[in-house]
Amino acid sequence: MAARRALKAVLVDLSGTLHVEDSAVPGAQEALKRLRSAPVTIRFVTNTTKECKRDLLERLTKLGFDIAENEIFTSLTAARNLLEQKQVRPLLLVDEKALPDFTGVATEDPNAVVIGLAPEHFHYEMMNKAFRLILDGAPLIAIHKARYFKKKNGLALGPGPFVTGLEYATDTKATVVGKPEKTFFLEALRGTSCAPEEAVMIGDDCRDDVGGAQDAGMRGILVRTGKYRPGDEDKINPAPYLTCESFPEAVEHILDHML
Amino acid sequence: MSCVLIACPLAYPYEKRAVVGHLQHPVVRPGLCICEHSLPPALEKSSGNLGRREAVEQLDSRVKTRIKASGLKLRFCTNETQATREKFVKKLQGLGFDISVAEVTAPAPAACRLLKERGLRPHLLVHDDLIPEFAEIDKTNPNCVVVGDAAENFSYANVNEAFRVLIGLEKPVLISLGRGRYYKETDGLKLDVGAYMKALEYACDVEAEVVGKPAKAFFESALAEMGVPPQQAIMIGDDIVNDVGGAQQCGMRAVQVRTGKYRPCDENHPQVKPDAYVNNLAEAVDVILGQL
Repeated sequence: MAARRALKAVLVDLSGTLHVEDSAVPGAQEALKRLRSAPVTIRFVTNTTKECKRDLLERLTKLGFDIAENEIFTSLTAARNLLEQKQVRPLLLVDEKALPDFTGVATEDPNAVVIGLAPEHFHYEMMNKAFRLILDGAPLIAIHKARYFKKKNGLALGPGPFVTGLEYATDTKATVVGKPEKTFFLEALRGTSCAPEEAVMIGDDCRDDVGGAQDAGMRGILVRTGKYRPGDEDKINPAPYLTCESFPEAVEHILDHML
Repeated sequence: MSCVLIACPLAYPYEKRAVVGHLQHPVVRPGLCICEHSLPPALEKSSGNLGRREAVEQLDSRVKTRIKASGLKLRFCTNETQATREKFVKKLQGLGFDISVAEVTAPAPAACRLLKERGLRPHLLVHDDLIPEFAEIDKTNPNCVVVGDAAENFSYANVNEAFRVLIGLEKPVLISLGRGRYYKETDGLKLDVGAYMKALEYACDVEAEVVGKPAKAFFESALAEMGVPPQQAIMIGDDIVNDVGGAQQCGMRAVQVRTGKYRPCDENHPQVKPDAYVNNLAEAVDVILGQL
Protein backbone atom coordinates (compact mmCIF):
# COMPACT_ATOMS: atom_id res chain seq x y z
CA MET A 1 0.00 0.00 0.00
CA ALA A 2 1.31 3.46 -0.89
CA ALA A 3 2.61 5.57 1.96
CA ARG A 4 -0.07 7.83 3.36
CA ARG A 5 0.47 11.53 3.57
CA ALA A 6 0.38 12.95 7.09
CA LEU A 7 -3.03 13.97 8.36
CA LYS A 8 -3.55 17.74 8.39
CA ALA A 9 -7.33 18.20 8.49
CA VAL A 10 -10.29 16.58 10.22
CA LEU A 11 -13.87 17.12 9.06
CA VAL A 12 -16.50 16.35 11.67
CA ASP A 13 -20.19 15.82 10.94
CA LEU A 14 -22.55 17.44 13.46
CA SER A 15 -25.98 15.82 13.85
CA GLY A 16 -25.57 12.14 14.74
CA THR A 17 -21.83 12.42 15.31
CA LEU A 18 -21.14 15.17 17.86
CA HIS A 19 -24.70 15.28 19.15
CA VAL A 20 -28.01 13.51 18.74
CA GLU A 21 -30.90 15.98 18.91
CA ASP A 22 -30.31 18.03 22.05
CA SER A 23 -27.81 15.75 23.75
CA ALA A 24 -24.10 15.58 23.15
CA VAL A 25 -22.62 12.16 22.35
CA PRO A 26 -21.08 11.01 25.66
CA GLY A 27 -17.45 12.09 25.95
CA ALA A 28 -17.52 14.10 22.74
CA GLN A 29 -16.67 17.45 24.33
CA GLU A 30 -13.48 16.10 25.94
CA ALA A 31 -12.58 14.22 22.77
CA LEU A 32 -12.76 17.46 20.81
CA LYS A 33 -10.46 19.14 23.32
CA ARG A 34 -7.94 16.32 22.88
CA LEU A 35 -8.19 16.60 19.09
CA ARG A 36 -7.33 20.29 19.29
CA SER A 37 -4.00 19.38 20.91
CA ALA A 38 -2.97 17.81 17.60
CA PRO A 39 -1.54 19.80 14.66
CA VAL A 40 -4.69 19.49 12.55
CA THR A 41 -7.22 21.95 11.12
CA ILE A 42 -10.77 21.08 12.15
CA ARG A 43 -13.96 21.80 10.21
CA PHE A 44 -17.49 21.05 11.35
CA VAL A 45 -19.59 20.13 8.34
CA THR A 46 -23.32 19.61 7.82
CA ASN A 47 -26.01 19.40 5.16
CA THR A 48 -28.47 21.75 6.78
CA THR A 49 -30.77 23.87 4.65
CA LYS A 50 -32.40 25.86 7.38
CA GLU A 51 -29.92 26.55 10.09
CA CYS A 52 -27.50 29.38 9.63
CA LYS A 53 -24.02 29.15 11.12
CA ARG A 54 -24.95 31.39 14.02
CA ASP A 55 -27.78 29.06 15.09
CA LEU A 56 -25.58 25.99 14.79
CA LEU A 57 -22.85 27.63 16.82
CA GLU A 58 -25.32 28.57 19.53
CA ARG A 59 -26.61 25.02 19.80
CA LEU A 60 -23.16 23.46 19.93
CA THR A 61 -21.88 25.96 22.46
CA LYS A 62 -24.85 25.21 24.70
CA LEU A 63 -23.89 21.54 24.55
CA GLY A 64 -20.42 22.35 25.83
CA PHE A 65 -18.44 22.23 22.58
CA ASP A 66 -15.65 24.73 22.04
CA ILE A 67 -16.13 25.81 18.40
CA ALA A 68 -15.53 28.98 16.38
CA GLU A 69 -18.03 30.17 13.75
CA ASN A 70 -15.45 30.13 10.98
CA GLU A 71 -14.82 26.43 11.60
CA ILE A 72 -18.37 25.62 10.54
CA PHE A 73 -19.02 24.73 6.89
CA THR A 74 -22.52 23.93 5.70
CA SER A 75 -24.19 23.19 2.39
CA LEU A 76 -25.50 26.75 2.60
CA THR A 77 -21.89 27.98 2.72
CA ALA A 78 -21.12 25.79 -0.27
CA ALA A 79 -24.02 27.36 -2.16
CA ARG A 80 -22.91 30.86 -1.26
CA ASN A 81 -19.34 30.13 -2.41
CA LEU A 82 -20.66 28.91 -5.73
CA LEU A 83 -22.81 32.03 -6.18
CA GLU A 84 -19.77 34.22 -5.54
CA GLN A 85 -17.63 32.21 -7.94
CA LYS A 86 -20.23 32.48 -10.69
CA GLN A 87 -20.98 36.11 -9.79
CA VAL A 88 -24.74 35.61 -10.01
CA ARG A 89 -27.73 37.01 -8.14
CA PRO A 90 -29.96 34.27 -6.71
CA LEU A 91 -33.67 33.75 -6.31
CA LEU A 92 -33.39 32.13 -2.88
CA LEU A 93 -35.93 29.37 -2.33
CA VAL A 94 -34.62 28.58 1.14
CA ASP A 95 -35.97 28.64 4.68
CA GLU A 96 -35.93 32.18 6.06
CA LYS A 97 -33.80 30.98 8.98
CA ALA A 98 -31.09 30.26 6.42
CA LEU A 99 -31.05 33.79 5.02
CA PRO A 100 -28.39 35.17 7.43
CA ASP A 101 -25.84 32.95 5.64
CA PHE A 102 -26.57 34.88 2.43
CA THR A 103 -26.15 38.35 3.87
CA GLY A 104 -24.34 40.55 1.42
CA VAL A 105 -25.39 38.52 -1.61
CA ALA A 106 -27.34 40.66 -4.08
CA THR A 107 -30.78 39.23 -4.87
CA GLU A 108 -32.53 41.93 -6.94
CA ASP A 109 -33.12 41.03 -10.58
CA PRO A 110 -32.05 37.42 -10.01
CA ASN A 111 -30.18 35.42 -12.63
CA ALA A 112 -29.70 32.22 -10.62
CA VAL A 113 -31.93 29.92 -8.57
CA VAL A 114 -31.00 28.32 -5.24
CA ILE A 115 -33.27 25.62 -3.86
CA GLY A 116 -33.17 24.26 -0.32
CA LEU A 117 -35.77 22.63 1.86
CA ALA A 118 -38.46 25.31 1.77
CA PRO A 119 -41.98 23.91 1.39
CA GLU A 120 -43.44 27.39 1.79
CA HIS A 121 -41.82 28.33 -1.53
CA PHE A 122 -42.73 25.18 -3.47
CA HIS A 123 -46.11 26.42 -4.66
CA TYR A 124 -47.03 26.79 -8.33
CA GLU A 125 -46.42 30.53 -8.66
CA MET A 126 -42.93 30.41 -7.19
CA MET A 127 -42.03 27.27 -9.10
CA ASN A 128 -43.03 29.03 -12.33
CA LYS A 129 -40.89 32.02 -11.39
CA ALA A 130 -37.89 29.75 -10.88
CA PHE A 131 -38.73 27.82 -14.06
CA ARG A 132 -38.75 30.95 -16.23
CA LEU A 133 -35.41 32.13 -14.85
CA ILE A 134 -33.78 28.78 -15.52
CA LEU A 135 -35.27 28.60 -19.02
CA ASP A 136 -33.67 32.00 -19.63
CA GLY A 137 -30.27 30.60 -18.67
CA ALA A 138 -30.10 31.02 -14.89
CA PRO A 139 -28.06 28.24 -13.21
CA LEU A 140 -30.01 26.00 -10.85
CA ILE A 141 -28.20 25.29 -7.59
CA ALA A 142 -29.62 22.65 -5.26
CA ILE A 143 -28.50 22.57 -1.63
CA HIS A 144 -29.24 18.85 -1.82
CA LYS A 145 -31.68 16.51 -3.58
CA ALA A 146 -33.24 14.60 -0.70
CA ARG A 147 -36.41 12.82 -1.83
CA TYR A 148 -38.27 13.14 1.44
CA PHE A 149 -37.79 13.39 5.16
CA LYS A 150 -39.58 12.24 8.25
CA LYS A 151 -41.87 14.53 10.17
CA LYS A 152 -43.92 13.85 13.26
CA ASN A 153 -47.08 13.29 11.20
CA GLY A 154 -45.57 11.31 8.32
CA LEU A 155 -43.24 11.71 5.35
CA ALA A 156 -42.82 15.02 3.55
CA LEU A 157 -41.34 15.84 0.14
CA GLY A 158 -37.80 17.21 0.19
CA PRO A 159 -36.30 19.58 -2.39
CA GLY A 160 -35.17 16.71 -4.66
CA PRO A 161 -38.48 16.11 -6.46
CA PHE A 162 -38.96 19.84 -7.19
CA VAL A 163 -35.41 20.17 -8.46
CA THR A 164 -36.01 17.13 -10.69
CA GLY A 165 -39.23 18.63 -12.07
CA LEU A 166 -37.43 21.88 -12.92
CA GLU A 167 -34.54 19.98 -14.53
CA TYR A 168 -37.04 18.15 -16.75
CA ALA A 169 -39.05 21.24 -17.68
CA THR A 170 -35.94 23.25 -18.59
CA ASP A 171 -33.85 20.37 -19.93
CA THR A 172 -30.95 21.40 -17.66
CA LYS A 173 -29.06 19.84 -14.76
CA ALA A 174 -28.84 21.31 -11.29
CA THR A 175 -25.50 21.73 -9.51
CA VAL A 176 -25.92 19.96 -6.19
CA VAL A 177 -23.68 21.39 -3.49
CA GLY A 178 -24.45 19.32 -0.37
CA LYS A 179 -23.08 15.98 0.81
CA PRO A 180 -22.31 13.53 -0.73
CA GLU A 181 -21.21 15.71 -3.68
CA LYS A 182 -17.47 15.96 -4.21
CA THR A 183 -17.64 19.75 -4.40
CA PHE A 184 -18.96 19.89 -0.85
CA PHE A 185 -15.88 18.20 0.59
CA LEU A 186 -13.44 20.08 -1.61
CA GLU A 187 -15.07 23.39 -0.70
CA ALA A 188 -14.93 22.48 3.00
CA LEU A 189 -11.15 22.11 2.66
CA ARG A 190 -10.77 25.38 0.76
CA GLY A 191 -8.80 27.81 2.93
CA THR A 192 -7.24 25.01 5.01
CA SER A 193 -4.41 24.47 2.49
CA CYS A 194 -4.94 20.75 2.91
CA ALA A 195 -5.38 18.30 0.08
CA PRO A 196 -8.13 15.62 0.31
CA GLU A 197 -5.44 12.96 0.82
CA GLU A 198 -4.38 14.81 3.95
CA ALA A 199 -7.87 14.85 5.44
CA VAL A 200 -10.26 12.49 7.22
CA MET A 201 -14.05 12.76 7.62
CA ILE A 202 -15.89 11.47 10.70
CA GLY A 203 -19.64 10.85 10.32
CA ASP A 204 -22.65 8.63 11.02
CA ASP A 205 -24.11 8.53 7.51
CA CYS A 206 -22.21 5.86 5.62
CA ARG A 207 -23.21 7.00 2.15
CA ASP A 208 -23.35 10.77 2.51
CA ASP A 209 -20.51 11.32 5.02
CA VAL A 210 -18.01 8.49 4.57
CA GLY A 211 -18.76 7.46 0.99
CA GLY A 212 -18.85 11.02 -0.24
CA ALA A 213 -15.59 11.94 1.53
CA GLN A 214 -13.77 8.87 0.24
CA ASP A 215 -14.97 9.59 -3.32
CA ALA A 216 -13.35 13.01 -2.92
CA GLY A 217 -10.04 11.42 -2.00
CA MET A 218 -10.27 11.65 1.76
CA ARG A 219 -10.34 8.85 4.34
CA GLY A 220 -13.63 8.19 6.13
CA ILE A 221 -14.40 7.07 9.69
CA LEU A 222 -17.90 5.72 10.27
CA VAL A 223 -19.28 6.09 13.80
CA ARG A 224 -22.04 3.88 15.19
CA THR A 225 -24.17 6.70 16.53
CA GLY A 226 -27.01 8.78 15.09
CA LYS A 227 -28.55 7.27 11.95
CA TYR A 228 -26.06 4.37 11.79
CA ARG A 229 -27.64 0.92 11.32
CA PRO A 230 -25.71 -2.37 11.67
CA GLY A 231 -24.36 -3.39 8.31
CA ASP A 232 -24.11 0.14 6.92
CA GLU A 233 -20.34 -0.30 6.55
CA ASP A 234 -20.96 -3.01 3.94
CA LYS A 235 -23.00 -0.70 1.77
CA ILE A 236 -20.21 1.37 0.27
CA ASN A 237 -17.24 0.44 -1.86
CA PRO A 238 -14.54 0.91 -0.86
CA ALA A 239 -15.53 0.21 2.74
CA PRO A 240 -14.89 2.91 5.36
CA TYR A 241 -11.26 3.34 6.33
CA LEU A 242 -12.47 2.67 9.89
CA THR A 243 -15.74 1.89 11.66
CA CYS A 244 -15.84 2.59 15.38
CA GLU A 245 -18.22 3.18 18.25
CA SER A 246 -18.41 6.95 18.40
CA PHE A 247 -16.58 10.25 18.04
CA PRO A 248 -14.30 9.78 21.08
CA GLU A 249 -13.00 6.45 19.70
CA ALA A 250 -12.48 8.07 16.30
CA VAL A 251 -10.37 10.80 17.91
CA GLU A 252 -8.31 8.19 19.82
CA HIS A 253 -7.59 6.39 16.58
CA ILE A 254 -6.50 9.60 14.88
CA LEU A 255 -4.18 10.58 17.73
CA ASP A 256 -2.67 7.09 17.96
CA HIS A 257 -2.38 6.10 14.31
CA MET A 258 -2.84 8.90 11.83
CA LEU A 259 -0.52 11.75 12.77
CA MET B 1 -53.22 20.55 -28.55
CA SER B 2 -55.60 18.82 -30.86
CA CYS B 3 -54.66 17.02 -33.97
CA VAL B 4 -56.94 17.00 -36.93
CA LEU B 5 -57.38 13.35 -37.57
CA ILE B 6 -59.11 12.79 -40.83
CA ALA B 7 -60.13 9.20 -41.29
CA CYS B 8 -61.69 7.49 -44.24
CA PRO B 9 -63.56 4.19 -44.45
CA LEU B 10 -61.64 1.26 -45.90
CA ALA B 11 -64.46 0.55 -48.28
CA TYR B 12 -63.99 3.70 -50.32
CA PRO B 13 -62.25 2.66 -53.53
CA TYR B 14 -60.74 6.02 -54.44
CA GLU B 15 -56.97 6.04 -54.32
CA LYS B 16 -54.45 8.57 -55.47
CA ARG B 17 -50.78 8.89 -54.87
CA ALA B 18 -50.06 11.96 -52.78
CA VAL B 19 -46.82 13.69 -53.53
CA VAL B 20 -47.01 16.89 -51.62
CA GLY B 21 -44.05 18.04 -49.67
CA HIS B 22 -42.91 14.86 -48.04
CA LEU B 23 -46.13 12.91 -48.43
CA GLN B 24 -44.88 10.15 -50.66
CA HIS B 25 -47.27 7.32 -49.88
CA PRO B 26 -50.60 6.44 -51.39
CA VAL B 27 -53.29 8.24 -49.52
CA VAL B 28 -56.61 6.45 -49.43
CA ARG B 29 -59.04 9.07 -48.24
CA PRO B 30 -57.05 9.72 -45.05
CA GLY B 31 -58.37 10.51 -41.65
CA LEU B 32 -57.34 13.83 -40.15
CA CYS B 33 -56.44 14.44 -36.54
CA ILE B 34 -56.25 18.11 -35.60
CA CYS B 35 -54.32 19.57 -32.73
CA GLU B 36 -56.20 22.55 -31.27
CA HIS B 37 -53.00 24.54 -31.18
CA SER B 38 -52.77 24.23 -34.95
CA LEU B 39 -56.04 26.10 -35.13
CA PRO B 40 -55.52 29.77 -36.06
CA PRO B 41 -54.27 32.31 -33.49
CA ALA B 42 -57.87 32.92 -32.44
CA LEU B 43 -57.59 29.81 -30.33
CA GLU B 44 -54.34 30.56 -28.59
CA LYS B 45 -54.97 31.20 -24.92
CA SER B 46 -53.33 34.52 -25.73
CA SER B 47 -56.27 35.98 -27.58
CA GLY B 48 -56.78 39.53 -28.75
CA ASN B 49 -56.03 38.77 -32.36
CA LEU B 50 -57.70 41.38 -34.58
CA GLY B 51 -58.10 38.97 -37.42
CA ARG B 52 -59.86 36.51 -35.17
CA ARG B 53 -63.34 36.54 -36.62
CA GLU B 54 -61.92 36.40 -40.11
CA ALA B 55 -59.57 33.60 -39.23
CA VAL B 56 -62.39 31.63 -37.67
CA GLU B 57 -64.57 32.03 -40.72
CA GLN B 58 -61.66 31.09 -42.90
CA LEU B 59 -60.98 28.01 -40.84
CA ASP B 60 -64.54 26.95 -40.72
CA SER B 61 -65.17 27.26 -44.42
CA ARG B 62 -61.82 25.98 -45.50
CA VAL B 63 -61.49 23.20 -43.04
CA LYS B 64 -64.59 21.77 -41.52
CA THR B 65 -66.96 22.12 -44.42
CA ARG B 66 -64.43 20.90 -46.95
CA ILE B 67 -63.58 17.93 -44.81
CA LYS B 68 -67.25 17.11 -44.31
CA ALA B 69 -67.89 17.46 -48.01
CA SER B 70 -65.08 15.10 -48.89
CA GLY B 71 -66.51 12.42 -46.63
CA LEU B 72 -63.50 12.33 -44.38
CA LYS B 73 -63.79 11.68 -40.68
CA LEU B 74 -62.51 14.30 -38.32
CA ARG B 75 -61.35 14.12 -34.73
CA PHE B 76 -59.83 16.65 -32.33
CA CYS B 77 -57.12 15.20 -30.12
CA THR B 78 -56.20 17.27 -27.13
CA ASN B 79 -53.98 16.97 -24.08
CA GLU B 80 -56.09 19.63 -22.36
CA THR B 81 -56.60 18.61 -18.74
CA GLN B 82 -57.61 21.89 -17.19
CA ALA B 83 -61.22 21.41 -18.24
CA THR B 84 -63.76 18.75 -19.10
CA ARG B 85 -64.43 18.02 -22.76
CA GLU B 86 -67.75 19.84 -22.45
CA LYS B 87 -66.07 23.00 -21.26
CA PHE B 88 -63.29 22.69 -23.83
CA VAL B 89 -65.80 22.30 -26.64
CA LYS B 90 -67.91 25.21 -25.35
CA LYS B 91 -64.82 27.42 -25.45
CA LEU B 92 -64.09 26.49 -29.05
CA GLN B 93 -67.75 26.89 -30.00
CA GLY B 94 -67.71 30.32 -28.39
CA LEU B 95 -64.92 31.24 -30.76
CA GLY B 96 -67.02 30.11 -33.68
CA PHE B 97 -65.75 26.59 -34.31
CA ASP B 98 -68.24 23.90 -35.18
CA ILE B 99 -67.12 21.08 -32.93
CA SER B 100 -68.88 18.63 -30.63
CA VAL B 101 -67.85 16.57 -27.63
CA ALA B 102 -68.21 13.40 -29.66
CA GLU B 103 -65.40 14.57 -31.91
CA VAL B 104 -62.89 15.04 -29.09
CA THR B 105 -60.30 12.55 -27.79
CA ALA B 106 -58.86 13.70 -24.46
CA PRO B 107 -56.69 12.14 -21.74
CA ALA B 108 -59.20 12.09 -18.87
CA PRO B 109 -61.75 9.78 -20.51
CA ALA B 110 -58.90 7.60 -21.75
CA ALA B 111 -57.58 7.43 -18.18
CA CYS B 112 -61.03 6.51 -16.88
CA ARG B 113 -61.18 3.57 -19.28
CA LEU B 114 -57.78 2.43 -18.04
CA LEU B 115 -58.76 2.82 -14.37
CA LYS B 116 -61.94 0.79 -14.87
CA GLU B 117 -60.12 -1.94 -16.81
CA ARG B 118 -57.53 -2.41 -14.08
CA GLY B 119 -59.72 -1.91 -11.03
CA LEU B 120 -57.79 1.20 -10.00
CA ARG B 121 -59.20 3.78 -7.60
CA PRO B 122 -57.42 7.10 -8.04
CA HIS B 123 -56.23 9.85 -5.78
CA LEU B 124 -56.60 12.84 -8.10
CA LEU B 125 -54.02 15.61 -8.40
CA VAL B 126 -55.80 17.52 -11.15
CA HIS B 127 -57.40 20.86 -11.98
CA ASP B 128 -60.75 21.36 -10.20
CA ASP B 129 -62.49 21.75 -13.56
CA LEU B 130 -61.39 18.26 -14.63
CA ILE B 131 -62.88 16.44 -11.66
CA PRO B 132 -66.32 15.94 -13.27
CA GLU B 133 -64.65 13.68 -15.87
CA PHE B 134 -64.00 11.25 -13.01
CA ALA B 135 -67.53 11.38 -11.58
CA GLU B 136 -68.22 7.73 -12.41
CA ILE B 137 -64.95 6.48 -10.91
CA ASP B 138 -64.65 5.01 -7.44
CA LYS B 139 -62.22 7.24 -5.60
CA THR B 140 -62.46 5.67 -2.15
CA ASN B 141 -59.43 3.99 -0.60
CA PRO B 142 -57.17 4.99 -3.51
CA ASN B 143 -54.66 2.52 -4.91
CA CYS B 144 -53.10 4.84 -7.48
CA VAL B 145 -52.44 8.51 -8.20
CA VAL B 146 -53.60 10.36 -11.31
CA VAL B 147 -51.78 13.60 -12.06
CA GLY B 148 -52.94 16.16 -14.65
CA ASP B 149 -52.24 19.80 -15.42
CA ALA B 150 -53.40 20.97 -12.01
CA ALA B 151 -52.04 24.54 -12.31
CA GLU B 152 -52.81 26.37 -9.05
CA ASN B 153 -53.70 23.04 -7.44
CA PHE B 154 -49.99 22.22 -7.52
CA SER B 155 -49.53 23.53 -3.99
CA TYR B 156 -46.90 21.87 -1.80
CA ALA B 157 -49.66 20.41 0.37
CA ASN B 158 -51.48 18.84 -2.57
CA VAL B 159 -48.36 17.43 -4.21
CA ASN B 160 -47.28 16.11 -0.81
CA GLU B 161 -50.64 14.43 -0.27
CA ALA B 162 -50.36 12.68 -3.63
CA PHE B 163 -46.82 11.64 -2.69
CA ARG B 164 -47.98 10.19 0.63
CA VAL B 165 -50.67 8.11 -1.07
CA LEU B 166 -48.16 6.82 -3.60
CA ILE B 167 -45.35 6.02 -1.15
CA GLY B 168 -47.82 4.25 1.11
CA LEU B 169 -48.86 1.77 -1.58
CA GLU B 170 -47.31 -1.65 -1.73
CA LYS B 171 -47.41 -1.38 -5.51
CA PRO B 172 -47.31 2.34 -6.39
CA VAL B 173 -49.11 3.22 -9.64
CA LEU B 174 -48.73 6.73 -11.04
CA ILE B 175 -50.80 7.73 -14.06
CA SER B 176 -49.95 10.97 -15.79
CA LEU B 177 -52.30 12.75 -18.19
CA GLY B 178 -49.50 13.79 -20.53
CA ARG B 179 -45.81 14.54 -20.14
CA GLY B 180 -45.56 18.13 -21.43
CA ARG B 181 -42.78 20.25 -19.96
CA TYR B 182 -44.51 23.60 -20.17
CA TYR B 183 -47.14 25.56 -22.08
CA LYS B 184 -47.81 29.14 -23.03
CA GLU B 185 -50.38 31.27 -21.25
CA THR B 186 -51.25 34.96 -21.67
CA ASP B 187 -49.06 35.76 -18.68
CA GLY B 188 -46.05 33.71 -19.72
CA LEU B 189 -44.77 30.14 -19.77
CA LYS B 190 -45.99 27.74 -17.11
CA LEU B 191 -44.93 24.33 -15.84
CA ASP B 192 -46.97 21.50 -17.33
CA VAL B 193 -47.96 18.13 -15.89
CA GLY B 194 -44.67 16.49 -17.01
CA ALA B 195 -42.63 18.42 -14.44
CA TYR B 196 -44.82 17.20 -11.57
CA MET B 197 -44.91 13.69 -13.01
CA LYS B 198 -41.10 13.70 -12.85
CA ALA B 199 -41.17 15.07 -9.31
CA LEU B 200 -43.39 12.22 -8.09
CA GLU B 201 -41.40 9.64 -10.07
CA TYR B 202 -38.22 10.81 -8.35
CA ALA B 203 -39.77 10.99 -4.90
CA CYS B 204 -41.18 7.46 -5.05
CA ASP B 205 -38.67 5.87 -7.42
CA VAL B 206 -41.43 4.76 -9.80
CA GLU B 207 -42.16 5.24 -13.48
CA ALA B 208 -45.40 6.92 -14.50
CA GLU B 209 -47.76 5.56 -17.13
CA VAL B 210 -48.61 8.34 -19.55
CA VAL B 211 -52.14 8.68 -20.90
CA GLY B 212 -52.36 11.39 -23.50
CA LYS B 213 -50.10 12.46 -26.33
CA PRO B 214 -47.52 11.21 -27.19
CA ALA B 215 -48.51 7.82 -25.71
CA LYS B 216 -49.33 5.25 -28.37
CA ALA B 217 -52.46 4.14 -26.52
CA PHE B 218 -53.88 7.64 -26.81
CA PHE B 219 -53.62 7.78 -30.59
CA GLU B 220 -54.87 4.23 -30.86
CA SER B 221 -57.85 5.29 -28.79
CA ALA B 222 -58.62 8.15 -31.19
CA LEU B 223 -58.27 5.85 -34.20
CA ALA B 224 -60.52 3.27 -32.57
CA GLU B 225 -63.12 5.95 -31.89
CA MET B 226 -63.10 6.73 -35.62
CA GLY B 227 -62.88 3.12 -36.69
CA VAL B 228 -59.86 3.78 -38.89
CA PRO B 229 -56.43 2.09 -39.07
CA PRO B 230 -53.31 4.26 -38.60
CA GLN B 231 -52.23 3.89 -42.23
CA GLN B 232 -55.35 5.77 -43.27
CA ALA B 233 -54.97 8.62 -40.86
CA ILE B 234 -52.99 11.84 -40.92
CA MET B 235 -52.19 13.94 -37.88
CA ILE B 236 -51.86 17.71 -38.05
CA GLY B 237 -50.22 19.34 -35.06
CA ASP B 238 -47.93 22.05 -33.73
CA ASP B 239 -45.95 20.02 -31.20
CA ILE B 240 -43.19 18.19 -33.03
CA VAL B 241 -42.67 15.60 -30.31
CA ASN B 242 -46.11 15.09 -28.82
CA ASP B 243 -48.23 15.47 -31.98
CA VAL B 244 -46.03 14.64 -34.95
CA GLY B 245 -43.58 12.20 -33.36
CA GLY B 246 -46.25 10.46 -31.33
CA ALA B 247 -48.55 9.96 -34.32
CA GLN B 248 -45.76 8.64 -36.53
CA GLN B 249 -44.78 6.11 -33.91
CA CYS B 250 -48.31 4.77 -34.27
CA GLY B 251 -47.96 4.27 -37.99
CA MET B 252 -49.76 7.45 -38.98
CA ARG B 253 -48.45 10.18 -41.20
CA ALA B 254 -48.08 13.57 -39.55
CA VAL B 255 -47.93 17.17 -40.72
CA GLN B 256 -46.26 19.95 -38.74
CA VAL B 257 -47.95 23.37 -38.73
CA ARG B 258 -45.81 26.43 -38.22
CA THR B 259 -48.09 27.91 -35.58
CA GLY B 260 -48.70 27.46 -31.84
CA LYS B 261 -45.78 25.84 -30.08
CA TYR B 262 -43.76 25.51 -33.28
CA ARG B 263 -40.26 26.98 -33.28
CA PRO B 264 -37.99 27.16 -36.36
CA CYS B 265 -35.46 24.86 -34.70
CA ASP B 266 -38.12 22.12 -34.82
CA GLU B 267 -37.29 21.73 -38.51
CA ASN B 268 -33.92 20.34 -37.41
CA HIS B 269 -35.26 17.96 -34.80
CA PRO B 270 -32.78 15.09 -34.42
CA GLN B 271 -35.39 12.36 -34.22
CA VAL B 272 -38.70 13.52 -35.69
CA LYS B 273 -39.13 14.17 -39.41
CA PRO B 274 -42.70 15.28 -40.25
CA ASP B 275 -44.21 14.00 -43.47
CA ALA B 276 -44.84 17.63 -44.45
CA TYR B 277 -44.53 21.17 -43.14
CA VAL B 278 -47.30 23.71 -43.70
CA ASN B 279 -47.76 27.26 -42.53
CA ASN B 280 -51.11 26.66 -40.88
CA LEU B 281 -54.00 24.28 -40.52
CA ALA B 282 -55.99 25.61 -43.47
CA GLU B 283 -53.00 25.06 -45.71
CA ALA B 284 -52.56 21.55 -44.33
CA VAL B 285 -56.10 20.72 -45.26
CA ASP B 286 -55.70 22.35 -48.68
CA VAL B 287 -52.68 20.21 -49.32
CA ILE B 288 -54.20 16.96 -48.11
CA LEU B 289 -57.55 17.37 -49.82
CA GLY B 290 -55.78 18.52 -52.95
CA GLN B 291 -54.12 15.15 -53.17
CA LEU B 292 -57.26 13.11 -53.12
